[in-house]
Amino acid sequence: MYRVLAIALFLVQALYPQSKMSMEEAQELQAQVKQKSQSTKTITSDFVQYKHLDFLSNDIESTGEMAFKAPDNVSWEYETPFSYKVLFKDEKLFINDNGNKSKLDLGSNKLFKQLNQLITASISGDMFNDTEFDIAYSKENGNRMVHFLPKDPQFSEFIKAFHISFSDQGAVNELKMIEPSGDYTRIIFSNRVENKAIPDAVFTQ
Amino acid sequence: MRFLLSSLIVFFLGCTPYPKKLGYSPDQSKSKTFTNPYFSDLQKDYVYKANISAFKNEFSGILVIKKTDENKHRVAFTTELGNTIFDFSIGDDSFEVNHILKKMDRKLLLNVLEQDFRTLIKENIAFTETYAKENTKLLKAKIGTKNHYYNFKKDTLQSIAKVGNQKEIVVITFSERSENLARHIQILHKNIKLAISLQAI
Repeated sequence: MYRVLAIALFLVQALYPQSKMSMEEAQELQAQVKQKSQSTKTITSDFVQYKHLDFLSNDIESTGEMAFKAPDNVSWEYETPFSYKVLFKDEKLFINDNGNKSKLDLGSNKLFKQLNQLITASISGDMFNDTEFDIAYSKENGNRMVHFLPKDPQFSEFIKAFHISFSDQGAVNELKMIEPSGDYTRIIFSNRVENKAIPDAVFTQ
Repeated sequence: MRFLLSSLIVFFLGCTPYPKKLGYSPDQSKSKTFTNPYFSDLQKDYVYKANISAFKNEFSGILVIKKTDENKHRVAFTTELGNTIFDFSIGDDSFEVNHILKKMDRKLLLNVLEQDFRTLIKENIAFTETYAKENTKLLKAKIGTKNHYYNFKKDTLQSIAKVGNQKEIVVITFSERSENLARHIQILHKNIKLAISLQAI
């Protein structure tokens, strides 16, 4: 039984090896993602979020809807297992926690401002900025994957690395944010719709 | 004279033992030990949506409690988006900070959190005094240096009050209980403006 499993694993690995992208492939991905990000004015997508803490038996799963409107409006709305919406808009952070509304001005806080920019950037995946990140390109299980490691030590206190997996069209399929401890948040997007008008209500608290 | 009399009354009321204040009388009950069931299952992840109200500021996030070993628990708090704010390991005689945001790394805050969570998860409790009133019981135990009163109704733990100078300092209330799980927990501080409300998800 174990031998069969070992052979199967070997075959899977042989079929989908984890390998580095060539320089050309990396440049092609960059250009594709940039082009897509520029031509994408709105995005709506469902998401499933898995919070992994090493000491837990199971990841904490939550689901919801994400909406993005260029240049930097993001609505991140959890529907299960709790109702919670966070809205990044005009350098402010609006929270609707099951009816309890609050607001945070990001303009005054450099770190939150960066966080906002990062969240916006990670939705399109256009984070190819090598002054802010160490960037590594790879192919995993046939998917194109990019690792972004923040250089700013103040930021890397929160997140050690972003792993972004891209579709063949250059859209973000999956985002993994890894904390210094190794615990991580993994977000898988589905039902992505681009450039369709989004009702204003989505971007209000 | 009237002022003196009312002062004396207030003074003596202040000194009235906590159980007596609540109308409890001493009881010669035999149950001197108790196992708090609410965080006792090694197989279970206890996950709560948490709302914290501290000095007029409101925070929310996810509080996770896991029994990792006999007499050892892990308590972690993350934002809804997944960033870990703090992560502690709490044993009978130990307290380790695995992670805390630099901005929150203050001894006073850590002490408050440690004491609250230690009381919340402490499993094996030895009682020194027992009181009764109708179908409820009040049992006294010492955790750290402070007296704690465990309130039971028909043998089910309802609340834990940390008491100093015969006054409540912190009250932890367990509600929406079913099969050793309290789906709603309220941690209310009486001497500082801090309240933590937990709802199981």
